[in-house]
Amino acid sequence: MSAAADRAGVVVRRGLALVATGLLGLAGVFVVALRYTPIERFQGLPQKIFYVHVPAAWCALLAFSVVGVASILYLWLRDSRLDLFAESAASAGLVFSTVMLTTGPLWGKPIWGTWWTWDARLTFTLFLFFLFLGYRALRGALHDPGERARYSAVVGIMGMVLVPFVHLTVYLFPTVHPQPIVLKPSSPSLPWEMLRTLLLSLAAYTVLLVGFVTTRYGLGRAAEARGAQDAG
Amino acid sequence: MPVDPSAHAWFMWAAYAAVTVILGGYALALWRRASRLGR
Repeated sequence: MSAAADRAGVVVRRGLALVATGLLGLAGVFVVALRYTPIERFQGLPQKIFYVHVPAAWCALLAFSVVGVASILYLWLRDSRLDLFAESAASAGLVFSTVMLTTGPLWGKPIWGTWWTWDARLTFTLFLFFLFLGYRALRGALHDPGERARYSAVVGIMGMVLVPFVHLTVYLFPTVHPQPIVLKPSSPSLPWEMLRTLLLSLAAYTVLLVGFVTTRYGLGRAAEARGAQDAG
Repeated sequence: MPVDPSAHAWFMWAAYAAVTVILGGYALALWRRASRLGR
């Protein structure tokens, strides 16, 4: 095995260790959220979806921002590792978006009385999800590595530009989606027990995100190393 | 108005199950791809 393949294997193992840590943390969050966090008075048990929905949104938007930054750096430096890193972050972002778009309607139905409404936040989020599905489809359709990296970098940057809009939609077009209660100019308006559970969940989800991106990146590097070995 | 705390509990369980399946499923897919690396 080549030195490059060895290095990629190390990255994959580190990534998987982070994924395992994140999953263990998530299991702990489930216990804390379901057993040791008080039930909200007006929404009842469905409010506990908050602890798995909000961190998924945070990770999805963070991952899509990372895609944009890596894409800008790729267009500047033309280093294929940045393209691979952007692709890895986009895949993880899509996974967390799927969590967000699944848990959101499951929270919306008992509280708003509907699974879905064309509220600006929901619509922008769905649009962002489709944009990154398009990013994946584009990558699959282009076979020249340079062309694929260049075109997908442009789409990745456009996706990143949407991220602040997704965050600001609840201020620009206030309808049914609640405004932020933690990421806002004043201090968080949550009781400590609920804030603690949310922060724990944010930490576990973020570790999982870093693990997913690292593992995916390592697997991509290993595939490149194998391709170079076969060509050589 | 305060609600019956146990009302609509299945929505919560469905959401937690969905999180487990989606995140666990992706982790498993990565692990399976990684385990094929050495072969």
